[in-house]
Amino acid sequence: MLEIKTISKVYGEGPAKVVALNSVSLLVNKGDFMAIMGPSGSGKSTLLNVIGGLDHLSSGEVLLDGERIDNLDENALVDIRRGKIAYVFQQYHLIPSLTALENVLLPLTFCEADHRDQKALDILERVGLERRAEHKPSQLSGGEQQRVAIARALVNDPSLILADEPTGNMDRKTGNEILALFNELNREGRSIVMVTHDPEIAGHAKALVLLQDGQIVDRISQEGGNKP
Amino acid sequence: MKLYQIVVKDVTRRKKRMLYASLGVIIGVATIVAVLTIGLAGETNIYGQLEKYGANLVVMPAISDIDVGLGGLSLGTLAVGENYISEDNLPQVRQIADGMIKEALGIEDDSDIATIAPRLYMGAEIKGTSVIVVGVDPQQERQLKTWWRIREGEYLEHADQALGGAIAADLLQLSVGDKVALNGMEVTIAGILEETGSDDDYQVFVPIETAQQAFEKEGLVSSIDVRALCSACPTSDIAGSINGNIPGVQAVAVRQIAETEMGMMDKVNRFLLALAGITLAVGCFGVVNTMLSSVHERIKDIGIMRAVGASRNQVIKIFLYEAIIIGVAGGLLGYVVGTLLAYVVGPLILDGVPVSYVPEYFFPALALATVMAVIATVYPAFRASRIKVADSFRSL
Repeated sequence: MLEIKTISKVYGEGPAKVVALNSVSLLVNKGDFMAIMGPSGSGKSTLLNVIGGLDHLSSGEVLLDGERIDNLDENALVDIRRGKIAYVFQQYHLIPSLTALENVLLPLTFCEADHRDQKALDILERVGLERRAEHKPSQLSGGEQQRVAIARALVNDPSLILADEPTGNMDRKTGNEILALFNELNREGRSIVMVTHDPEIAGHAKALVLLQDGQIVDRISQEGGNKP
Repeated sequence: MKLYQIVVKDVTRRKKRMLYASLGVIIGVATIVAVLTIGLAGETNIYGQLEKYGANLVVMPAISDIDVGLGGLSLGTLAVGENYISEDNLPQVRQIADGMIKEALGIEDDSDIATIAPRLYMGAEIKGTSVIVVGVDPQQERQLKTWWRIREGEYLEHADQALGGAIAADLLQLSVGDKVALNGMEVTIAGILEETGSDDDYQVFVPIETAQQAFEKEGLVSSIDVRALCSACPTSDIAGSINGNIPGVQAVAVRQIAETEMGMMDKVNRFLLALAGITLAVGCFGVVNTMLSSVHERIKDIGIMRAVGASRNQVIKIFLYEAIIIGVAGGLLGYVVGTLLAYVVGPLILDGVPVSYVPEYFFPALALATVMAVIATVYPAFRASRIKVADSFRSL
């Protein structure tokens, strides 16, 4: 469903030029759970950003369901973010003035479609936070905040979830709970691309891509992926 | 949940910040409201004095410098000379005035409408001090000067009586029952007026026939005050008609004189308004600045919203909603601050004239503040809408 063809991303110009991605090609099939691993500065977050249209490419193509999305205008990208792709970030990125429920409702609000709070409540229940619906992010633990962020990502029913170090700010136990949630979502048929620098976390994925200095250095298919 | 609800929640979380953003609007609107409120108080004061102090119309001899003081306004200079109007003109003045008022108001009635008060000003010596003696038609004068209050004694009833103005009576040590000689003719002080704050306080009033006899001015008057107690009365037209039909007199509508005075006030007002406008413009830049830093502060939030599906227009809308809240709050506070400012500064500028708040300015103040805040937010909102999601997270 996601096809990445020899993409490059270069920051700056002349002597200050930094090559973040260098001719990276990648294929994510429907139902994949792919972990992109590499040391910091290897370009893995940049890769995730350009995949989802959050950042522009220097060269190459990104195709989603057979259609190019790297050259789309803002409005078309907005449509993709409202339906097909959703993000989960390391820093959770919740809006601090809104409650957990309202944060989950946020994508629906921007869609300006008719919606009921019940949908968001159901999803909060699904991530186990129905009792925390009226809490502000500052009143929630890191793991709870990430669950809210995942609920927010799910509310538009996306087929592809892009997660940037989703467990980076958590202890192992909480991180494993979040990963279990990702596994569950993956089993439902959603594709997941997750960036991490932690081999153990990466071990949960079905496929592993190793990135170094902006280039893919290894691809590993993990039969033991999706372990509980 | 709707977009504006997100804004409202965000705004209530950052009340201080919003207040700071409103500051430019508050100052701008407050200045304008203050200037307008004080200006209106000044204007009301002038018209109020005109209402209170006598005539709508003054008929004077065509060649003269009669001082007609109306309250605090000096409407010319008085030279008590040999210039008089014949009493015979009185019926014609009444006919013109009543006729035109009746026509204007659609009244078909023979009764008198306008108050027509002839006066004869004479210089006289009472107890060795020179004083202005005014011959008046007691009845008409009383109708004209509704604010006259008798301090002692009674009002003019008989031909051989006199009425002292408060200060004149004190200076001349007159008391009720005293007999004084006016140019050889003896009159009795019937009463003394309370202080009015006008020229009346310095004068002594006698029935006009008595003055005419005493000073040998039979059939002559110095001026005629015409008062029509209606706001729709065509005073300027009446003045014009009198001037056209009665030779040897000059009729002036007091409002015309007042308008000259108003013209001056108006110029000052316009100048102050221009200054207030500059304040408003400067305030606008203040809002632009605060909004820009607000955009900068919220780069992350904007990035999040963009990442979860907000379009550029929605980001702009969020800031414009915020501008409306700032505008309404700023307009509200600006109106209150401006009115308070007018209460404090107004009496200092206008010599103790009381200032009162003007409810009619409230909604225009709100509208002005809102428009201003929205205009000031256009550029910051545009900047916010150009923020790229990836950049917003990188900058953390």
